[in-house]
Amino acid sequence: MVKGTSRVELQAAKTEAAGRAPVVAATPLPYDEMRDAAGKVRPHYAALAERIDTLSSDELAERQKTLERFFLLQGITFTVYGAESSTERIIPTDLLPRIIAAEEWKTIDAGLTQRLRALNMFLADIYSGQQILMDGVVPRDLVLNAPSYRREMQNLYVPHQAYANVCGSDLIRQPDGKFAVLEDNLRVPSGVSYMLANREASKRVFPGTFRGAGVRPIDRYPDLLLTTLKSMAADWRPNPQVVVLTPGVYNSAYFEHAYLARLMGVPLVEGRDLVVHDNMVYMRTTTGLRRIDIIYRRVDDDFIDPLTFRRDSGLGSAGLFNAYRAGNVVICNAPGTGVADDKAVYAYVPEIIRYYLGEDAILPNIETFLCREPAQLSHVLANLDKFVVKAVGASGGYGMLVGPHSTKAQQDEFAAALTADPENYIAQPTIQLSTGPCLIEHEIDSRHVDLRPFILCGEKIVVTPGALTRVALRKGSLVVNSSQGGGSKDTWVLTDKKDLQP
Amino acid sequence: MLLAVRHSTRYQYDEPVRESVMELWMQPQKRTHQRLISFELEIDPAAQLFSYADTFGNAVYHFDIPQPHDKLTITARSAVETEPPPALPTQLDRGEWDRLKSDFVRGEHFDYLHPHGFTGPTESLAKFIAERKLEELRVRDPLSAMRDLNSILYQAFAYEAGVTRADSPIDHVLKARKGVCQDFAHVMIAICRGWGIPARYVSGYLFTDRKAGDRSDPDATHAWVEVFLPSLRWVGFDPTNNILAAERHIACAVGRDYSDVPPSRGVYKGEAESELAVGVTVRKARAAVSEPEFLRISQPAPRPGQRRSQYSGLAYDQQRQQQQ
Repeated sequence: MVKGTSRVELQAAKTEAAGRAPVVAATPLPYDEMRDAAGKVRPHYAALAERIDTLSSDELAERQKTLERFFLLQGITFTVYGAESSTERIIPTDLLPRIIAAEEWKTIDAGLTQRLRALNMFLADIYSGQQILMDGVVPRDLVLNAPSYRREMQNLYVPHQAYANVCGSDLIRQPDGKFAVLEDNLRVPSGVSYMLANREASKRVFPGTFRGAGVRPIDRYPDLLLTTLKSMAADWRPNPQVVVLTPGVYNSAYFEHAYLARLMGVPLVEGRDLVVHDNMVYMRTTTGLRRIDIIYRRVDDDFIDPLTFRRDSGLGSAGLFNAYRAGNVVICNAPGTGVADDKAVYAYVPEIIRYYLGEDAILPNIETFLCREPAQLSHVLANLDKFVVKAVGASGGYGMLVGPHSTKAQQDEFAAALTADPENYIAQPTIQLSTGPCLIEHEIDSRHVDLRPFILCGEKIVVTPGALTRVALRKGSLVVNSSQGGGSKDTWVLTDKKDLQP
Repeated sequence: MLLAVRHSTRYQYDEPVRESVMELWMQPQKRTHQRLISFELEIDPAAQLFSYADTFGNAVYHFDIPQPHDKLTITARSAVETEPPPALPTQLDRGEWDRLKSDFVRGEHFDYLHPHGFTGPTESLAKFIAERKLEELRVRDPLSAMRDLNSILYQAFAYEAGVTRADSPIDHVLKARKGVCQDFAHVMIAICRGWGIPARYVSGYLFTDRKAGDRSDPDATHAWVEVFLPSLRWVGFDPTNNILAAERHIACAVGRDYSDVPPSRGVYKGEAESELAVGVTVRKARAAVSEPEFLRISQPAPRPGQRRSQYSGLAYDQQRQQQQ
């Protein structure tokens, strides 16, 4: 027991040393999820810390093996594009859960609800009257020239004005302990299956601690998702047929598409399984055509309909968008939602919230420099080694430069790209993500983590009381994207003790 | 002027195809100085027609044919009454350039001020502008500049079908110095947008009058340009024939460029080569409307890799008709 404690403390000390490495000397120490500045375990981590202390290194390794076996048996895999090895691999998963106190979750819940409400109002506005553009709150060409802006969506009726039905926002904890939004994902956010699978696994490896901790359940997510999707159907379709549309087995998130379809009990279809006839969408089944009401699509806008969008697409179904326009089918998320999670529009989200809701943003943004502004561009170019530079259109950690961890050659390359096409880039100061304890090579060590909660929006907005915590497995790395070799761990959101009293 | 239009489009496939889905931008607009009297669409094989208004306010018809078929014909018949637009002033004051910069114009006509698809600035366009000293036109008021630009484009390019195709970028026509109305319209739009004058592509028909000097083909659809000048609103220029768009022009649809408003576009499933034939007749009404004698065979579109055994669910892009 004593041995365990000392190990954790030792690792904490090591992390501090790493935090003082010369490159990031000016930045404050990252927030530690488990321990406060004095090194004392935070109250909501107490139970877990106690349990870990009773376990030997071998016992921890044993549990990690159990966990990995669970994932392997379940076939929970994903694909890294461009990697030489086999297409699919097991997602690296960490044994130790990340724990969030009830009080903190309340802020996150309220902040995300507010944000999604405002973003949906923003989408409804720019696809109809464009009042916000007329009032000059968001620059007109930023929105109308964005490739993700779909003129085809102009003046279409979207039930409940819910454009983004499934949203996965990326939150990070700043050194002062406050959560901030790093990115909104309103197109086809993925990762929710890992949240569900991680929970299944952590119930197996820490059954006792889990039961005692009062963790809020997330098992209802598939039901909530189905309810949300069904709430988008027209009133006169009492028992709407929902399907999940996947690009196919070669997609990196194919496992998730199949997993969600199975948990919701709805068919999983590819574009070639669909046929549009007389402005209605049908799926081909062994017993003939069956009409479809709701499509939860995991295919990008560009590819859902070769007639309306990319003409060389074989992933969608021709005529789908016309059926959508006529109101005979609902596509979730609505096409064109990407314009609201554009990295350049992101900088304006606090303004957008104030404009539509008259409130201040509960969850702040990260300070963002728009390279399209000449003054901000020159500031970014002068400090490339301190900034994280991202391409506006890209996602998944592709096409970005992490200043402090980059070489001079990489910086020069980005400087050239920035000068050539400044509109396509934004820059953010390098944020020290908070760190949490992870089991690395049989030892407990600190790694940087972020948080991706999932929000559903149909008739009403529901924030799932859980999240995907992504871990940057390389020591000191700040990139957590699973496509860049990041891992994940379970996230426990604790029940408020006050809520439990009658 | 009372005009009757018959526009036939025929797709022929060397092997049966299925699940054809098509969209048509063929209905003449109802607009100032143009009254739509009747519009009929005939589809063979028969199909249920649906319609919607697109972002630019055009009427779009669409249908699908699920069963196997080796031929698809679309016949659009319309009757339109047009009247000449009021005479334009000989010139405007130069303050018009400032009015073009107003927030209202820049906001309302955002889409018609920015490059899109075919109408972006290119190197050969810059060369062309320098060679013809087009920048000097901007010394004058916008209306005179547009008039001059219209005739310069008329002189700079020879009318010749078959040099360019429906999906040719403007570089082709700028290099060959010949093309058809679609190419001339794209070049003019690209120049206007570069100068901050909202310009849009108009797809439609022309009642061709050889005696008046028209050089565009009477058996094809037509395309021209409309520019927005704040004190006159939309003014139509036809660089193919060196005239202003007037009562002989019938507008069907407006868009940022050809790709927004092709007369017909669609996809089908099946491994087959297609052949597209188009015939247009525009007659003064009450004169006997005769059937067109021949259908123009458009150039076969090469589709690399089409015959490769990809899975049969892949949809193929229908060949599109060039506007001439």
